[in-house]
Order: sequence, then structure tokens, then C-alpha cells
Amino acid sequence: MKLLEYEAKEILKEAGIPVPKGILIRAGDDAGAGAAQIGELVIVKAQVDVGGRGKAGGILMADSSTVQEVSDRLLGSRIKDVPVHAVLVEERIAIEHEYYLSISIDRSSGSPLILFTSSGGVEIEEVARTNPDAIRRAVVDPLLTDVPGYTIRYLLNGAPKELGPVINKLYHVFRCRDALLAEINPLVTTPSGVCAADAKIIIDDNALTRQGISENRDLTDRERKAEEFGFSFVELDGSIGVIGNGAGLTMATVDLITVLGGKPANFLDVGGGADRVRVAHAVRLLGSMPGVSVIIVNLLGGITRCDEVAAGIIEAGVSQQVIVRLAGTNEEEGRNMLNKYGYRMLDTMEEAVAAAVEVAR
Amino acid sequence: MIYADRNTRVIVQGATGNQGSFHIGRMNQYAQSVGGFGVVAGVTPGKGGQESGGVPVYNSVQEAAEAHDATASVMFVPGAAAGDSIMEAADAGLDLVIAITEHIPVHDVMKACAYAEMRDCTVIGPNCPGLLCPGEISMGIMPSHLYTRGPVGVISRSGTLTYEVVHELTRAGIGQSSVVGIGGDPVIGQTFADVLGRFSEDPQTKAVVLLGELGGNLEEEGARMADLPVVVFIAGTTAPPEKRMGHAGAIVSGGEGDAKSKIQRLKSLGIPVASRLSEIPGLIKEMV
Repeated sequence: MKLLEYEAKEILKEAGIPVPKGILIRAGDDAGAGAAQIGELVIVKAQVDVGGRGKAGGILMADSSTVQEVSDRLLGSRIKDVPVHAVLVEERIAIEHEYYLSISIDRSSGSPLILFTSSGGVEIEEVARTNPDAIRRAVVDPLLTDVPGYTIRYLLNGAPKELGPVINKLYHVFRCRDALLAEINPLVTTPSGVCAADAKIIIDDNALTRQGISENRDLTDRERKAEEFGFSFVELDGSIGVIGNGAGLTMATVDLITVLGGKPANFLDVGGGADRVRVAHAVRLLGSMPGVSVIIVNLLGGITRCDEVAAGIIEAGVSQQVIVRLAGTNEEEGRNMLNKYGYRMLDTMEEAVAAAVEVAR
Repeated sequence: MIYADRNTRVIVQGATGNQGSFHIGRMNQYAQSVGGFGVVAGVTPGKGGQESGGVPVYNSVQEAAEAHDATASVMFVPGAAAGDSIMEAADAGLDLVIAITEHIPVHDVMKACAYAEMRDCTVIGPNCPGLLCPGEISMGIMPSHLYTRGPVGVISRSGTLTYEVVHELTRAGIGQSSVVGIGGDPVIGQTFADVLGRFSEDPQTKAVVLLGELGGNLEEEGARMADLPVVVFIAGTTAPPEKRMGHAGAIVSGGEGDAKSKIQRLKSLGIPVASRLSEIPGLIKEMV
């Protein structure tokens, strides 16, 4: 789950990384009174999770006389179609130099990966394209609780020594908060010391409970509902609803729809050992999606029982045509049940997908 | 066969849960049919002295391994405790841990895999269906009736996709040497490259099917160094960016790891990539 800038900065501050003085303002709050505690010149930043927020008009300058008006203007607006529910009013800092620092997971080595460059303030992908040699990369043994001194010296590559402790403190944040990404861009030097001018933290969805987070905000309402039922669900924008078991087989089904010229409406993995109730929920969820004209159910039962799946499909009884491919445990029983209700069944995944694409046309 | 055979004595960690007890039974049915040892004991802390799936349960891996000469483990322990269980198995001196569990926090996986590596313990998974060497051993949750013995190795990041392909191979009269589910998480123990290394030393294996998906670049890393003929399939060509497609590891992030560019890179290395699952048996038949 992605944290917003102000949440990430609170975490950095707790970890001992300096952040600009700031205050969070929501609709109805007195921005003027808040800003008075911060200083004459301020910066107002929309708290939305979109890339290129500044260019899209989400970061505005203000002073004590205009801060209320500027805050109100942002609070009523949408940045790249995302509504602004809060703004962060911060002091303007005197930047001497901008750096980039991030810690993420390197999948090849299975270790934390630290990136640092003295060319901060722009997107790291941009630096990687134009000046790749400027980026220093180091992996850290995941069993280490601190970044070794020699690694920090390598990363800094002559940048001011005072940035070293920030690297180690961000590593602590990365570990303790179960982060997939902890990024400070830019990390700046000012006449009064170092400071994290912007921050981004993504928390591992598998660790939300132990991080005390009860709800994953990144999900759409339908995706959240799907999660409650125990399946993985992603909305796409086509007309063919897809239910499969197992992420890989479901993805392959969605892909095959596209290969055969159709448009998938979603990705829905009902998970292993799905029973009648879970299947019925899945079919109903797709049935309720506007624009879904046909549903394909592609299940290969290992521990999933085909008779349970059939009962779930029949129980849901949606208005759209449901095309079924079932293989595995209790296949015969499942087929007989579906036959009785006139459902269309095909032997292979490819035949079933082709049939669904045909119906959608 | 690779990693294990009919002489491997296996323990199950998380033996007394629904999954654990059910799959001990299934694994031992298979062991019986091929004349192997299969699962000899289970481990659940606090449940020592009980029985599950017909085998005795111990409080720790150490006790179970010592009492039964076990060298390998299949793990069903829930996510929050699973990293710990991998380390316990490594510490008890096991050679191999197959972690079936899904939803383990990735920081736990990183630490557990690093710890196991230091103790020369091989980790397969997590979030995987396990290992099946037809005619030798089943360690995990794969539906063994779909499998036949033969010359083709299969390595996969996904469970049901593996079954689908094995089903297709078997129907086309092509048997399998070993089938390894390496798991759908962003950080895993054995990678495509590691398993390919084992297959290249296995006289039974003549060609390998790699079933990959979007996210990361382990497929390219593996296929690049393969000295056996390989066929690759990559799932997730229609996945939108930054959305997780079921598996924690199946995500395109920061513009990296999307399925289409992965397929492009594989093709530029001269590696055959199947655009549909149904093409795999035909492509592999030419190789064996």
C-alpha cells in the first residue's frame, strides 16, 4: 500500500531524518492559522498519489496572506483526476543541492537495494536514461541491521558526509516498516543541514496487519469486496468476464482472450480450494459489472472440486451467458449438474476462450 | 530427477492444519504407489505426541529430523510464522525446504533465504505448489494423476498454470522428469537459473519448459544461461501497470518487468517463446 507524502514524512521524522516544518490542512481547516506557525513563505502540496504532481499543478507557492485561498483552491480540485482531500503546507527551504536516495527490493539477489545519486530532484528513471554512471547502487545482506560504513562511503561517492546517517536511518525505516520502497527525492542540503524535501513509502501488502494498517486504500471498492471474499481481482476495461483458479492460469486465460481478439473485463483468481459460496460470489461480482456481456469460468481442479464450482455457478444465476471449462476432481458430477441447467461447457481452455470471444462479438 | 527422489525422507512443517494433514495423506499415497519413503513425520509446535495424516507429530524440526533421519521439509506454516520456520529447518540441518505458504511478508522471505543459504539449505518457494518427480516423489500439492515420467523438465512461477501445461504434455504423450514450482513471490529461494543448473546435470532431462510471468527478470537470467533446449511461456501480457495480478511478484513497477518486453528480450536471445499454452507440446516435441 502506498503512503501519502505526509504519512511518509511522519515516519521519517520519527526515525530521526529531518523533514521541513509542515502542517496538514483538510477542507474547513484554518490554513492561515496553521501556516502562521510555519513562516511567512510556504509551499502548498496536494496529498495525492500521482506521479509528476508538481507539473500537474499539485504544488503551489503561497505566503501568509494567500495560503488560505491557495489551499482552498487545491482542496476543491483534482490532480490527474485524483481528488485532493488534504494539502501539506510546508516552510520553504533554502536548497543548496538536491540528491536522490531510495531503498527497494532487488529481486535478482533477494536483498535490499540502495540507490543514491547527486543528481536528485528529477525522476530517477530520467537520470538512469541520461546519466546512468551518476547512480550508485549497492545491495545489503538482508540479515544486517545496519548499512556497513564502506557501503555508505561507496554510495556517497564524495557527497557530504552528513548524508551518511540518513542512508542508515532510511534503511531502518525500510526494515522496520516492511517497506517495498522507501524513497527520498529530493534529499536536500540547506544552510541549516540535511532535509527530506519529498518522500515516498510503499508498504508490503502481506505485512499490513503487523504494521497496524487495517485497510488497503489502494484497492477500488470492487477490488476490496473481492479481497473480503478471498480472491484476487483486478478490473480491466473489456466485455468478457474471467474467473480462473491460480494467478498464472487466470492471467493466461486473460491473455488468450486478447490473443483471440476479445477484450477481458477483469482478472479474477478464486484461489485454491474454492467452494460453492466463493464461486457464487465471484460469478455475481462479475455479473454486476456494467459492460460484461459474457463470463468464462476456467478452472483446473487440483484441490478445487468441480461439483462445488458447478453449484456456485448455478446458485449465482446471473443474466449473462456463462461458458465453463472444468477439469479435475469430481469433474463428471460438475458437468452433469451444469448440463441439467443448460450451461455451455467446453473441454479445453482454448475452445472455451474462443467461444467467449465469439459471444462477445 | 532433481532435488529429491524416492529415498528422501520428508517432514511436514505445519502438519496439523487442514492443508498439512490433507497433503501428508496425498503425498504418502504417492510415495506408496512408487515405493518411496514420503512423509515420515510432522512438526507443529505444541502438538508434539499427536498424529496427523497417519504420521507422528513433533514439537520441533530438530526432534522430528533426528528421530526419522529426515533431510527435507514441505512447509504449510501460515505467513506470519513461515519465515521463522524456514530458518528453523535450516538450523536443524535439513538440505531442502519447500515453502508452500502464500502471503509471507517479503522482508521475512529475504532474511530466511539469506539465513538458509548460509547453512547450505536449499529453499524452493515460497508461494509455490512444490516439486513432483514422476515415479519418484511428490513434495507439495500438485495433482499427481496428471503427471507421467519422461524427458521434459518444467519450471514455473504458478501452480495451476503448471498443471495445465503438464496436462497438455501428458496428453501429447510427453512425460516429465521433474516439475518444480519456484513460486509467485518477488523474492524466492531457487530461481529459474538455479533449477536449470540442476536440470543440466540430470541425465533424464532433455529439454525444459519455463513458465514465467510479468515482474522481475528471472526468466531472462535463467534462459540466457541454459545449456539445455528450452521453451518459454510468459503470462500477463495484458496486465495493466502497477496492478498486482494475484501473485505478489506479478507486478510491473517503475516500468520494469512487463510481459511484452520480457518476451521481446527472450526472442532477441533466440529463445523460442510460445504465445499460447497449446503451442508448448509442439515446440517441445521437436527438441526431445
